[in-house]
Amino acid sequence: MRIQLLLAATITFAAIADLPGQGRGRRGRRTIAPPPAPPAAEKVEKKKADEPKKYTAIVGGDVYLGTGQRLTGATVLIADDKIEQVGHNLDLPEGTTEIDAKGKTVSPGFVAVAGSGMGASRRPPFKDGANPYDPQMKQGLAAGITSFLAGGAGNGKLPTGSNAIAKLAWGDVEGMVMAENRVAGIDVPLSLGDFGKLRQQVEAAQKYLSELEEFPAKQAKDSKAKAPKMPRGADKVVAILKGETRLWVNVGGSPMSMFLRMRGGARFTANDVDAIRQGLEISKLFGQGVVLNNPISAWLVPDEIAATGSMVILNPRNRMAADPKKPDTTGTNIASAAILAEAGVPVAVTSPGGRFGGANVGTGGILGQDLNTPHVDAAYAIRGGLDNRKALRTLTLDAARILGADARIGSIEAGKDADILILDGDPLHYATFVETALVNGKVVYEKSKDPLFGHIER
Amino acid sequence: MIRSLTIACSLLATTALCQESQPAAKAQEPAREATTFEIFRPNRPKTEADYKVAKWGPRGLPSPGYAFRAAKVIPITAAPIIDGIVITKNGTIEAVGPAKSTPVPAGYELIDCGDSIIVPGLVEMHCHVASESFDLNDTVHATNPEFRTLDLIGLEHDQFRAARAGGVSTALYIPGSGSNMGGFGTITKTWGNSPEEALVRFPGSLKIAQAGNPERRSGDLGYGMMGMSDGIRATLMRGKEYLAQVQAAERGEGPRPKHDPTLELVSGLFRHEYPVSVHTQIYQVVLQTLQELRLELGLWTVVVHGTFDGFRLSGEMAKHGVAIANGPRQYHFDRATGRIEGLAANWALGGQHGWRERVPGVGRDGISINTDSPVVAQEQLTLQAAMAVRLGLPHEWALRGLTINAARMAGIDHRVGSLTVGKDADIGVWSGDPIDPRSHVKLMVINGTICYRRDGKRPVW
Repeated sequence: MRIQLLLAATITFAAIADLPGQGRGRRGRRTIAPPPAPPAAEKVEKKKADEPKKYTAIVGGDVYLGTGQRLTGATVLIADDKIEQVGHNLDLPEGTTEIDAKGKTVSPGFVAVAGSGMGASRRPPFKDGANPYDPQMKQGLAAGITSFLAGGAGNGKLPTGSNAIAKLAWGDVEGMVMAENRVAGIDVPLSLGDFGKLRQQVEAAQKYLSELEEFPAKQAKDSKAKAPKMPRGADKVVAILKGETRLWVNVGGSPMSMFLRMRGGARFTANDVDAIRQGLEISKLFGQGVVLNNPISAWLVPDEIAATGSMVILNPRNRMAADPKKPDTTGTNIASAAILAEAGVPVAVTSPGGRFGGANVGTGGILGQDLNTPHVDAAYAIRGGLDNRKALRTLTLDAARILGADARIGSIEAGKDADILILDGDPLHYATFVETALVNGKVVYEKSKDPLFGHIER
Repeated sequence: MIRSLTIACSLLATTALCQESQPAAKAQEPAREATTFEIFRPNRPKTEADYKVAKWGPRGLPSPGYAFRAAKVIPITAAPIIDGIVITKNGTIEAVGPAKSTPVPAGYELIDCGDSIIVPGLVEMHCHVASESFDLNDTVHATNPEFRTLDLIGLEHDQFRAARAGGVSTALYIPGSGSNMGGFGTITKTWGNSPEEALVRFPGSLKIAQAGNPERRSGDLGYGMMGMSDGIRATLMRGKEYLAQVQAAERGEGPRPKHDPTLELVSGLFRHEYPVSVHTQIYQVVLQTLQELRLELGLWTVVVHGTFDGFRLSGEMAKHGVAIANGPRQYHFDRATGRIEGLAANWALGGQHGWRERVPGVGRDGISINTDSPVVAQEQLTLQAAMAVRLGLPHEWALRGLTINAARMAGIDHRVGSLTVGKDADIGVWSGDPIDPRSHVKLMVINGTICYRRDGKRPVW
């Protein structure tokens, strides 16, 4: 953290010092010329289009597609930053860089639905705050993470939050921010009054959207017709209704702080089936599935969740005893992920919360309790009965769906971003290490060349 | 409160009973396995009957006759058995061997565990969760040897229930590190019909915290490095003197000192009836542990935590027989090299560790793994081991660290820690490798009684 701050400070200073011939006094502010515009993105694209494609092939590994399927001894062909083809006996274009993966496993990069650090800014503007040489990025990549939600989903009584899907594109600021504000969060339980306010806002937004749809026709009839106005403060709700942003319903806080665990959590009973059902009411209000964030008792109502098309984020290791007053509607279950998956609810896993863990990599915590080993959390879903192959989806495709980013990341399929791991064993075995990580088609981490784990032999 | 008092009183009654029946225990003690690491404990009493201060819990409590058969039995101190069987009755292991050549006695129930792996119940050396109370950091004096956890055992504590589901059968329940000396810990089984039945030994150990948490950064007098060391040493010296007076009186060379229950317990440390569990982590403090507690006072010393760069002393600890109960954390970030190293691996295997020459480690038999629960949830003991293996500790050593090594460090290896005839019938039936988080406990047996079966609908863990 300190290094990051120092770096930031140095960069700021350098930027100020570099401004040619500009005073920084009282007058300075007004007369300062705008900094030279960064090279337009289109320009870069154009140049790229002229260049021949750069091909990379990961050859001969056992490829876990992330969809639940696996291809043995297959090849993944990458063109620039996208996956071109996956399969057996592929014809590799001339000049393809081959990476031998025989005897290794190949997996989509893990998608962390919660995270911080790893080069990403906590708040907008995300591109400006990105540090593409943050040493934590290497640690994240060593953990298998290639993208994560930076900034958090947002907490409030109405949908809120500013966040970005950050990629661990080492050395490439442009590649580090994949999308912004794909997620907005709302907390439950809501009071009746707050639920009413939400309903009003959703109705106003729906009205606005239908007026917006009718507007071209209206304008054709009457050129003076006024364009409909976005209801005040409803931008998030509008974005959710338009399908641009995914709504996360935060069900209860973190149940796993050290002292809550000590006391069995019995005093904190907001996170129960009633709160989950309110989340599902919100889902109905929007007419679309929501993401239930940390609903510890979701396993008690899997079919109700499945019926709304909602998804779930949980940590399989969370353990909270049932409230003795409400034994049938509270408490966790190690089998949660398995029960929900059985009902058809997509599940993503997070790292445990608490004082020594949390959704971050770093060097100050306890191994196995933070984001340094996300595969262990999926492993605990297997302990609870989830099928071995489905369990990988909790870190890949289903996690990407929960971020609303499955069109680009989360699986090894033609056309998707080339965010790929080469591992020395079963992706969900505790002793498996990432040997090579690619983000946007570029090799960004190699265990053997990096000090972090290069000395450890399996 | 009333409940605690009752427990304490009944415990005294039980322990009195135990002393009478001790000759039986003498005959039962199984032979000890040859080790590569000898824990420093020269005054070790030969049998349970020879303990003067510590009280042992009961053994051989009635339990049905069972024969547990599984695809693999890992006795830890002997080679794994393919298609093995473990026969238990009255709280004791009666036979361990291949299913073909080990007959099931008449009247014993055969429990076919199919594809499972049977290992001994796991032993946790550093636990704070046996009671609903979290007030384990009382600080009345600079050192608090008068405190004990014996009266605070609640076997239905949520985390103890989870411990059984996590394969843990024995725990050393110690006070916290709020002061330099937190009090005496208790070794208890994680299940029993009553706390007195579950008791293994009291005291389990004395909790000492050298630096770290007891430091008072607001400048309180006597809470710097020197002050803390002095406080610890002074209290221990009083116990040592008390013991000298008692022993002199026994030889008829002087009057018996006035009975002091606290000093009596401290004196047991010098009889090597139980160890000091020392919360000690960084190099400087681990060095103090070695010099003050082990070399100067000659105590049976166990390092608990042993995190950060304490492992640099692995060679010295191996030389002086100080065992390492490592955890939680399991990794060390070396700022000089940018490497993430495995702590348990560094302790056990030795290495350069920043010295001019490579130093040895404490080896296969000198390392155990713990959780410091609730810092890491009690049921995640095996995950700590998994992380140690991930960073280089040999898998077999990690399994030993969870069982026989921890039992040796606590001085209870004649009772638990391996599947050996004559030891307590503490058995975990696992769906796979116990260290792999994907495996789960199917069945847990403590003192010969099946105390946990994984329920399909709502498994505990």
